Amino acid sequence: MRLLPFDYAVRNLGRSAARLLLSVLGSALVVVLVIAAAAFVRGMSGSLNISGSANNIILLGAGSEESVERSEVEASTPGLLEASVSGVRARAGVSYVSPQVHVMLPVQTSSQQTKERQALIRGVTPEALLVHDMVRITEGRLPRPGSDEIMLGRMVGTSLGVPESDLAVGGTIVIDGRPWKVCGRFAAPGTVMEGEVWAPLLDVMAATKRATISCVVLTIDPALTDVGEIEVFTKMRPDLELVAMTELAYYGRLAGFFGPIKVVAWVTAALIALGGLFGGLNTMYAAFASRVRELGALQSLGFRRAAIVVSLVQESLLATTVGGLLACAVAVLFLDGLAVRFSMGAFGLVVDAPVVGVGLCAGLGLGLFGALPPAVRCLRLSIPEALKSF
Amino acid sequence: MALIECRSLTKAYKRGSGTITPLHELDLDVESGDFLALMGPSGSGKTTLLNLIAGIDRPTGGELCIDGADIATLSRSRLADWRSENIGYIFQLYNLVPVLTAYENVELPLLLHRMPGRERHERVRTALRLVGIADRHDHYPRQLSGGQEQRVAIARAIVTDPRIIVADEPTGDLDAESATAIMQLLTRLNRELNKTLIMVTHDAKCAGYARRALHLEKGRLVEPGRIGSEAEQEAAA
Ligand SMILES: Nc1ncnc2c1ncn2[C@@H]1O[C@H](COP(=O)(O)OP(=O)(O)OP(=O)(O)O)[C@@H](O)[C@H]1O
Ligand SMILES: [Mg+2]
Repeated sequence: MRLLPFDYAVRNLGRSAARLLLSVLGSALVVVLVIAAAAFVRGMSGSLNISGSANNIILLGAGSEESVERSEVEASTPGLLEASVSGVRARAGVSYVSPQVHVMLPVQTSSQQTKERQALIRGVTPEALLVHDMVRITEGRLPRPGSDEIMLGRMVGTSLGVPESDLAVGGTIVIDGRPWKVCGRFAAPGTVMEGEVWAPLLDVMAATKRATISCVVLTIDPALTDVGEIEVFTKMRPDLELVAMTELAYYGRLAGFFGPIKVVAWVTAALIALGGLFGGLNTMYAAFASRVRELGALQSLGFRRAAIVVSLVQESLLATTVGGLLACAVAVLFLDGLAVRFSMGAFGLVVDAPVVGVGLCAGLGLGLFGALPPAVRCLRLSIPEALKSF
Repeated sequence: MALIECRSLTKAYKRGSGTITPLHELDLDVESGDFLALMGPSGSGKTTLLNLIAGIDRPTGGELCIDGADIATLSRSRLADWRSENIGYIFQLYNLVPVLTAYENVELPLLLHRMPGRERHERVRTALRLVGIADRHDHYPRQLSGGQEQRVAIARAIVTDPRIIVADEPTGDLDAESATAIMQLLTRLNRELNKTLIMVTHDAKCAGYARRALHLEKGRLVEPGRIGSEAEQEAAA
């Protein structure tokens, strides 16, 4: 089949500057919003997709299963656990029991003194490195208690939206109005911990004036015990008001808890895309309907209807692709890494290749399905009827 | 055998309970090289007949053979190919593509034919020269006068070298002077290039350029016959 020249589709775009602007900006808007939804879901899934070990047990205050920040656990619990539960892993006399405080606090850095951002501060003891074995100190060292030192995750800069130079080892950042020295950096690929600030447990408890901890994470030896035994412990000590679950179950629960949020994100994106599609259908129908006589003349010359449909779809695809690329540029520049806080900590919107791909597909879909029905409809007229239209 | 043969050619539209029959069992032969003017009152079926011959409409009854082929039996896409080979259509309102230049408008039908770019270029040039508009090849339709637009449209109709050229009131939207120029051009296509022309017109003066004129009334031919050709009178004078 002989097609119309591509140039014809390109120049048809120039027929109405207003329509061109509408198509490009409209599709850009739709694609940006679709990308935002995809980046949100991807960022969220990515951070929850922590390789939560089945051998790690997390103990929280009963009723705070969804939010470790709200959880309160007696500070004496780790010692009780160590004494009453057999089968906790140990090496060189050190048990894998990590008491922790999780608290969201405002952070200021040297280049960002006015605008405050929240970061998750995790108060830890050195045992945290034993139970969270994916954490690697990449620079400096673990903070020493009593000297106002902190260690920063690799993603803290991104989630706070500050330059890396603000977070260099040896520098100072202000947390909740109090200066802390950066003494180390760490990585924990693919986990929420990378966006966190780690400080000595007692320092965080002192700074936040709290007497309780948030949770205890311990690693069991699966050959000797299982989560059931820990659950028995929590039942035997109802006064402690504890719940125990494996880290795997904990993150699975969280992922389940955030599942509906993802669905809402996708549904919102789909509705926006659908709205954009109907807008596009209208715009394209108006554009094509004003050219019915010309389309009839092209057919009288011998161009097949399919060739004309291809040209009209090309025209629409061109506009939405330009809009889509524009949207991708905006998304990569302004959305990527944008921190979103939720009760687990923070995660960054992830605008990576698959997300950009989803956005571009939305743009292409908009161009294709926005033009196809109006094109077919405008070509349903017989040629003599088309030639009579104005 | 005539180039165009219509036998009991009928076109009818169903409209609710009744039928409208713009063309009623029409018999017509058009020889190769003829220049036929179709006249008649509004609604008499002139455009309908022209569209059937041009293969952009289908008869509901009778036979229509062009160059020995029964075009009513062709599929929609075959018919499109057939049009690009055999028909040049000239419209009252030119129907040029507004976003293409005069040159590109004339080139358009050639894109349906396989040929080297150089030959295509030559053909477009020749057609534009023939209609006397070569100097305006890079102008867009909106930059041309009606008469000039119609010249470009004529160049577009002849560029593929079709055997049959149909024209529906080609001077209907032009002033007398431009109309005369267009009629002289069409006459040349018939006399010098031996194109078979069928032209619908309301204007007796235009019909005078044709070799013969036929009158349609309510979908039937009336009093067919030769009339005094204005072109011949001009040539004689
Ligand atoms: N699609 C259609 N549906 C129903 N009737 C139609 C249709 N197309 C044309 N007709 C009818 O066919 C008849 C002939 O129409 P046609 O266009 O051939 O007339 P015409 O001789 O070209 O008139 P004019 O000089 O005004 O152009 C008219 O009565 C018209 O109403
Ligand atoms: Mg007519």
